[in-house]
Amino acid sequence: MPVLEINNVTKQFGGLMALDDVSFQVEEGEIRGLIGPNGAGKSTMFKNIAGFYEPTSGNIVYRGVNIGGKQPHTIAEMGIVRTFQETTLFQELSVFENALIGTHIKSRTNVFSAVLGLDRAKQQAASDKVMDVLEFMGLVERRDQLASELPLGSQRALALAIALVSEPKMMLMDEPFAGMNAEETNHMMDLTRKVRESGITIVLVEHDMKAVMGLCNYLTVLNFGKLLAEGTPDEIRNNDRVIEAYLGGA
Amino acid sequence: MNSAALKGKRGFTIQKLAIGVVGLIALLITPHFLKFHHQDLLIFLTINVLAVCSYRLVTLTGEWSLIHAVMMGVGAYTVALSVNHFDLAIWFTLPLAGTAAGLVAALLCFPLLRMTQFYFLIGSFAAGEAIRLIWVEFVGVFGGTSGLRGVEAPIVWGIDFLDPIPYFYFTLCVVSFCLLILYRIENSRIGLTLHSIHWKAPLAESVGVDAWRYRALAFILGSFFVGIAGGLKVHYLGSVTPNQFTIGFMVFILIWVIVGGYNKFYGPIIGVVVLTIFDESIRSFEVIRPAIYGGMLILSILFLPMGLESIPAKLKSLFGSDSAPDDQALSDQ
Amino acid sequence: MELFLQSIANGLVQGGFFALFAVGLVLIFGVMGVVNFAHGELVMVGAFTIWLLHAQAGLAYIPAIAVAIVLVTVIGLVMERLLFRPTRSDPLAGLICSIGVLFILQVIAALIGGDGPSKQVPPPYHGTLIMFDALRIPYQRVFSLVISAAALGSLWFFLTRTKFGWALRAVAMDREAAELQGINTNRISMVAIGVGTALAGLAGGLIAPLTNINPHMGHNVIVTAFIVTIVGGVGSLSGAVLAAILYAMFHTLITVYIGGTIATISGLVLMVVVLIVKPTGLMGVKVSE
Repeated sequence: MPVLEINNVTKQFGGLMALDDVSFQVEEGEIRGLIGPNGAGKSTMFKNIAGFYEPTSGNIVYRGVNIGGKQPHTIAEMGIVRTFQETTLFQELSVFENALIGTHIKSRTNVFSAVLGLDRAKQQAASDKVMDVLEFMGLVERRDQLASELPLGSQRALALAIALVSEPKMMLMDEPFAGMNAEETNHMMDLTRKVRESGITIVLVEHDMKAVMGLCNYLTVLNFGKLLAEGTPDEIRNNDRVIEAYLGGA
Repeated sequence: MNSAALKGKRGFTIQKLAIGVVGLIALLITPHFLKFHHQDLLIFLTINVLAVCSYRLVTLTGEWSLIHAVMMGVGAYTVALSVNHFDLAIWFTLPLAGTAAGLVAALLCFPLLRMTQFYFLIGSFAAGEAIRLIWVEFVGVFGGTSGLRGVEAPIVWGIDFLDPIPYFYFTLCVVSFCLLILYRIENSRIGLTLHSIHWKAPLAESVGVDAWRYRALAFILGSFFVGIAGGLKVHYLGSVTPNQFTIGFMVFILIWVIVGGYNKFYGPIIGVVVLTIFDESIRSFEVIRPAIYGGMLILSILFLPMGLESIPAKLKSLFGSDSAPDDQALSDQ
Repeated sequence: MELFLQSIANGLVQGGFFALFAVGLVLIFGVMGVVNFAHGELVMVGAFTIWLLHAQAGLAYIPAIAVAIVLVTVIGLVMERLLFRPTRSDPLAGLICSIGVLFILQVIAALIGGDGPSKQVPPPYHGTLIMFDALRIPYQRVFSLVISAAALGSLWFFLTRTKFGWALRAVAMDREAAELQGINTNRISMVAIGVGTALAGLAGGLIAPLTNINPHMGHNVIVTAFIVTIVGGVGSLSGAVLAAILYAMFHTLITVYIGGTIATISGLVLMVVVLIVKPTGLMGVKVSE
């Protein structure tokens, strides 16, 4: 039973057709790669799934519920969390504080409890959760460093950590490997596998073919907003139309 | 709010306590040495501290409203009306003032919070003007341009609050209590969430933060506390007029917050204290006072954008401090 | 009925003024991204100049208007260079600076004119135009309307038919893209504020014989300008002109039949309603993402 269904999704901006009748399905526990040349519509698809855009037509169904047009925070509460292109972190906050924001979904507090200090147990639980995730991501030693001071690999790990703290069931990772060297890429690939092993379905938008081929069990290829091909990494690697679309890519 | 501050809270030292106690004693005995006019000023200063700190809560989410001064007026008018018509005691009127302002803010959330940045600024300005003009227009209820008068000074436990010194202590208590609450809110996870909306709203939303709700929370709470400030003001002055809460006063609040700095909780407090003292010293230049303020505003924005609160840090880096920030140094002792 | 038509006519004349300073504000905001809170005070300076030079010193009306325009434009250019350019990255800072200028201009006006009762400038043009046996429009007002229309027409021509005009619109749409195309955005900013403030100065000059002049008259101007700008659509000049005329008639009618304060309250409520229902205003274009 597919956990995410994209059914005939179209997204138009004025005259521009960013997504054109795209359909595909993602199974539970996959690492699905969503690839394609620049401008193919991959990020747009993510924004539609995560609620930052609303599909012009078609629907998006997550675990049987139509989520098209819902607010980003509502979709996050349902278990889909997105990481952002380029590094999006709360630069002025420490690693610990960054991750703490992610506890919002699971442990909310209200003003009275906060002021009167009644929610100490909740605070502690949230704190513990954050430390768990930081350990999982290998960031514990850096917990008090400001996000702006982190090296690239750690910044991306932190972005993952923020998402993980909210206990998602599905993660949309938007180009997490951008700008990484070989060592950082390997480390990130390990982290990604760890995330999947903890039971989270991953959809990955990425240009780095090494990461894509090494991580994904299935690929969905977009081009000019349309679905171009689907298949295993091997199948796609040898697909003429895909090669042509990339103009000598992989 | 950064890690050093978090650590510093736990580094509670004898030195800090001593400074606090001395400061408190100074604050408590000061009014006895002041002339009547300056005693008045001290009370208004205390009230304005609440006004700016409550404004800062609103701006934590990154949105600058222009309706805050009018919210203070909502509180003031509420107190005036409840004393004149129902003779309510001050224990009731102050929370009522805050609640009234909070309710108005809650209602205005729906139209105003759909907008951000420039539109929110202008929209909040318009809503504030409209409310003020309602006070002017509906003379029967609000007294028009002359406002409402004859708000009797409260007499609590036999102490007549018409006298500045008791009223100062009372105001100090109320304001301190409110500041304590504001401080705790900011340093809780709620405060953290408010900050997160300011810096990267999409990121916060992607982990489930409903930005609208938190902006609303900040706006309503900020209005609640400035409503109380308005109530304190009218209990002392005995009258309220629409001209006390014009865009002119709103600009003062802006100036205090911007010149003082708004990165730290105490920034606006520095702003309002320093500028009020400065204002007194240029009292004789009545006519050109606004121009001096205008000049200060411009100079502040251009040359000290982080406000007065950033001066200690600047001085430290200028004179080459050899170690970590203030708090850690103290807590290591 | 006569009253109604008369109000419409008066509204039209007022609409001319509203259009002049609203368009200036939109121009500055559109090209430079900053809200000039001191715009009302610029109109006030224009009006004060007429009082000082024409009513007090005896200079002829038209040259006095010319001086007013030049003076206000100079102030605008100074503001751009000293305040808006350094704060370009933070529009809020620019706005705050303009508030500072607001105060300074008010004080200067108070010092020059004294803070006594409002000043009056006797209208240089006498006589009344009578139309359809019912409408009476003083020639002074006719003059204002004609000059306003001419100014707006010239602006339209400038923006759509000249090289500078195209550059202005390009910068308003996308500053970075315009820079990449080689447009000197600093110079364009100066042109934008120059034109915008010149219009404000002109408005002040035209209003001077028709209203009470005092250092605080700018307040109503800026409130009106905001209402008109929002209702017309931020970033849309034609929207601002249309909204100016419609709002002026709206405001005049309500003032005549109910009262001035209610008229302003209604205008403010209208503005908030527009902000809710159609934030892009009458003619604004929605900017995606």
